[in-house]
Amino acid sequence: MHGKLVKFAAAIAVTAAASVLAGPAHAAFTADQVRTFTLANGMKFIVLESSTIPNANMYTFWKVGSRNEAPGTTGLSHFFEHMMFNGSKHYGPKMFDRTMEASGGSNNAYTSSDVTVYQDWFPATSLETIFKLESDRIAHLTIDPKMVESERGVVLSERSTGLENSNIRMLMEDLNSVAFSAHPYSWPVIGFESDIKAWTQQDLVDYFRTYYAPNNAVAVIVGDVKADQVKALATRYFGAIPKRAMPPAVKTVEPEQKGERRLFVAKPSATSANLMVAWKAPRADSPDYYALSVLQSVLTEGKTSRLYKALVEKQLATSVGADATDGFDPGLLYVFAVAASGVEGAKVEKALLDEIDNVVKHGISAQELQAVKNKKLVNLYRAQETISGKAQQLGNYETFFGDWRKLFDAPAEYEKLTPADIQAVATRYLKKSQRTIGMLAAKEE
Amino acid sequence: MMKKLVFTTALLGVSGLAAAAPQSATQSAAQSAAFKLPRFETTRLPNGLTVMLMERREVPLISVRAVVKAGAVNDGAQAGLANLTGDAILLGSTKHDKAAIDEAFDFRGALLSGGSATEQTTVQANFAKADAAALLPLFAEIVQQPSFEAAELDKLKNRKVSGLKQAKESPRQVAGTYYRSMLYGDAPYASPAGGTVNSLSALKRDDVRGFHGRYFRPDNAAVIVVGDFDPAAMRTQIETLFGQWRADGPAPQRADYGKPLADKPRVWLVNKPDAIETTFVIGGPGIARNDPDYVPLQVLNTVLGGRFTSWLNDELRVNSGLTYGANSAFAPLAQSGIFTMSSFTASAKTEAALDLALKTYQRLWAQGKEGGIDKATLDSAKAYVKGQFPPRFETGEQLASLLGDMYALDVDRAQIDNFMRDVDGLTPAKAKQLVDKHFPRTNLQMVLVGKADDIRKVAAKYGDVTELEISADGFKPAAK
Repeated sequence: MHGKLVKFAAAIAVTAAASVLAGPAHAAFTADQVRTFTLANGMKFIVLESSTIPNANMYTFWKVGSRNEAPGTTGLSHFFEHMMFNGSKHYGPKMFDRTMEASGGSNNAYTSSDVTVYQDWFPATSLETIFKLESDRIAHLTIDPKMVESERGVVLSERSTGLENSNIRMLMEDLNSVAFSAHPYSWPVIGFESDIKAWTQQDLVDYFRTYYAPNNAVAVIVGDVKADQVKALATRYFGAIPKRAMPPAVKTVEPEQKGERRLFVAKPSATSANLMVAWKAPRADSPDYYALSVLQSVLTEGKTSRLYKALVEKQLATSVGADATDGFDPGLLYVFAVAASGVEGAKVEKALLDEIDNVVKHGISAQELQAVKNKKLVNLYRAQETISGKAQQLGNYETFFGDWRKLFDAPAEYEKLTPADIQAVATRYLKKSQRTIGMLAAKEE
Repeated sequence: MMKKLVFTTALLGVSGLAAAAPQSATQSAAQSAAFKLPRFETTRLPNGLTVMLMERREVPLISVRAVVKAGAVNDGAQAGLANLTGDAILLGSTKHDKAAIDEAFDFRGALLSGGSATEQTTVQANFAKADAAALLPLFAEIVQQPSFEAAELDKLKNRKVSGLKQAKESPRQVAGTYYRSMLYGDAPYASPAGGTVNSLSALKRDDVRGFHGRYFRPDNAAVIVVGDFDPAAMRTQIETLFGQWRADGPAPQRADYGKPLADKPRVWLVNKPDAIETTFVIGGPGIARNDPDYVPLQVLNTVLGGRFTSWLNDELRVNSGLTYGANSAFAPLAQSGIFTMSSFTASAKTEAALDLALKTYQRLWAQGKEGGIDKATLDSAKAYVKGQFPPRFETGEQLASLLGDMYALDVDRAQIDNFMRDVDGLTPAKAKQLVDKHFPRTNLQMVLVGKADDIRKVAAKYGDVTELEISADGFKPAAK
């Protein structure tokens, strides 16, 4: 850091630290406002009453993602997510969306390597309609072969538009296949083109039976509803759906990486190089989670972050970013940068890795750590400003950390970290032998 | 990987405002009618500055923004000038350099950004309530006394030039900019907000200072604060920080920014040689942001292309599997606006997708069993639009943005407060009238971004074709 900056920053830093953290760390809601219940069939519900707007959300988390697939069926979890909108006993093809939209609701869904999540956003008065729709497709999904055929085109278009419009996505897809040699995290969530074209009716039916058991789901409802009303509706509409055997465990354990790996992706229209470096990282509920999350922020969050200063401020890159997917198995911590016009990818790579080495060798300052702690707290408020943000947080903590209550421990978990803790995880995980370096450009340098 | 693609904003490329397209809905008229814009106060300081304060106590956060009535329409021959100025505000004040500003905001987890759209330039910040006393003075400094320090300005400009080149790697990011340029020709509304590689490269520090001097003045600006604060104390603080701001000479006046041109069917074919799909935008003239029919048109557009079960998405995606998503929108500006339908498909399916989009669009004018908007469809769209309305104004940032639009684009608060009523009042007969009045039926304009060698013949079916190279500078054909 430059002298002048440090001086000024220190002067205001003290008051900021005091002002943000000395006050009561009040989140927008507290643990005792959250109600939970589990139906006899094992389906768990988390409910938070919140009446700021006359709306509500229902997020249903299923523990199924691309990690549950195998070669030949890659992308099936995501494809199946699409099929969940294509007809059930009382609501034929198209009727899920038509019914929901006619009662003021909208929806979406996403699939990751680990989970499939269905999201409904609706006026609170439509709660019962939402329960009817969601329970019918879980109890009685019909898989219409005609719908399967048209949905293949949709997913192929989704796949190609992602590759057309996002260099980072193209690069990440190929990087994952190099970073993992055995574990299912190696293939893209959306699947390979040939597999998308190949599902059979039986694949889909089997998938539904295996993974869509009520005891493999957690539903989160947040909004202008009453917990008692939610419980009554849940019991009425989901209660009779039979419990089933839990899905088979994912057995493959990724072998230890023995050295740095590299790849290059050619995209003729790329005007500058895109760089991605990924290190092997632990599963989401690792004790190192919070320290790694701080490390990620120190590297790329905000204009005073390490890599922003080393790459963007020095005009080597136009942007930097980082990502780490929450997973049930050990995954990756990604850092990426887009080179500035006329700057060679190799130069960006060297500057990025030098900065990483710097953090490993010298750690971070107390000031940097305090800045990240401040960010985490303010970001918590931002996430909790909407009912959907609250639903997403509760669901994520319940699914990946095993208990929604851990959401409320997060501020203390961050608060207790020291600079030494951050350097320790940097040393443990940001190793040369554990990294994969990917470059995308018009042509290889 | 999502079920649906949400790409309205990016593809329109018009401005964040225009793309804040309406989607929404409720069964209970009583409950939805209860939704009104939360209470706020508007005052005007003696120097002409408009101050808008809205108290919100949900979370201990404050959103503040300065909104200046100037944007790409004021760029003249210097495309990108307003946008560069909006971002350059963040490069430090005469009292605190960029590093100090960055450190002050970033240390506290505060967000600070600038930017400029077609008709407004904003500087905005979001931070914890407890940090207001420290950050508001810095915010006031950079708005009123930016340094535009030369070395930092050069860096910013270079980064933006690289960004403009990179944007053309993604057809979705630029298709809307070509489309606007096509419809507005040489009018100010055609000016690409981010500029072009050549226009931006040519800008000098004096240009930026000049733009700031002309437009950043209290009688051409509003300061908006939404969040967890005491209104009386906040009013005093804003008056202290901005009350000494002075304007010299007469305030800038608005000119005529142009009307869309659609005298015959035209196609701009933008060649991207390595494209694997064709990204397309089709449409024509639309409406202004404050058009009295703005709200009912949101409902009608919902039927056509504003939601998942819309006709366009149903036909192009659900029935035929040609695309991952298709939609339509009115992209309104202060004085006029455009209408767009947009989607994308594999290169080989370009003709099938375009024909189907055009055929589906004509259903708006069909009668009886053939189409038209029947009562059940209209009722569903009305419920949807109402139900999705409240979450659009849930956060302090969303509300600050709305107040900013109201100031910069002359949006009357009645449009928000009467939203539910205006939706409810739409009948099938009124719907038919509005379709005839506002949806461009003939002389459709089309932008195709894709591999020209594969789709050149297809393009010629739909109008006079002009070919452009995506790698060429800017968003319109080179001057002959």
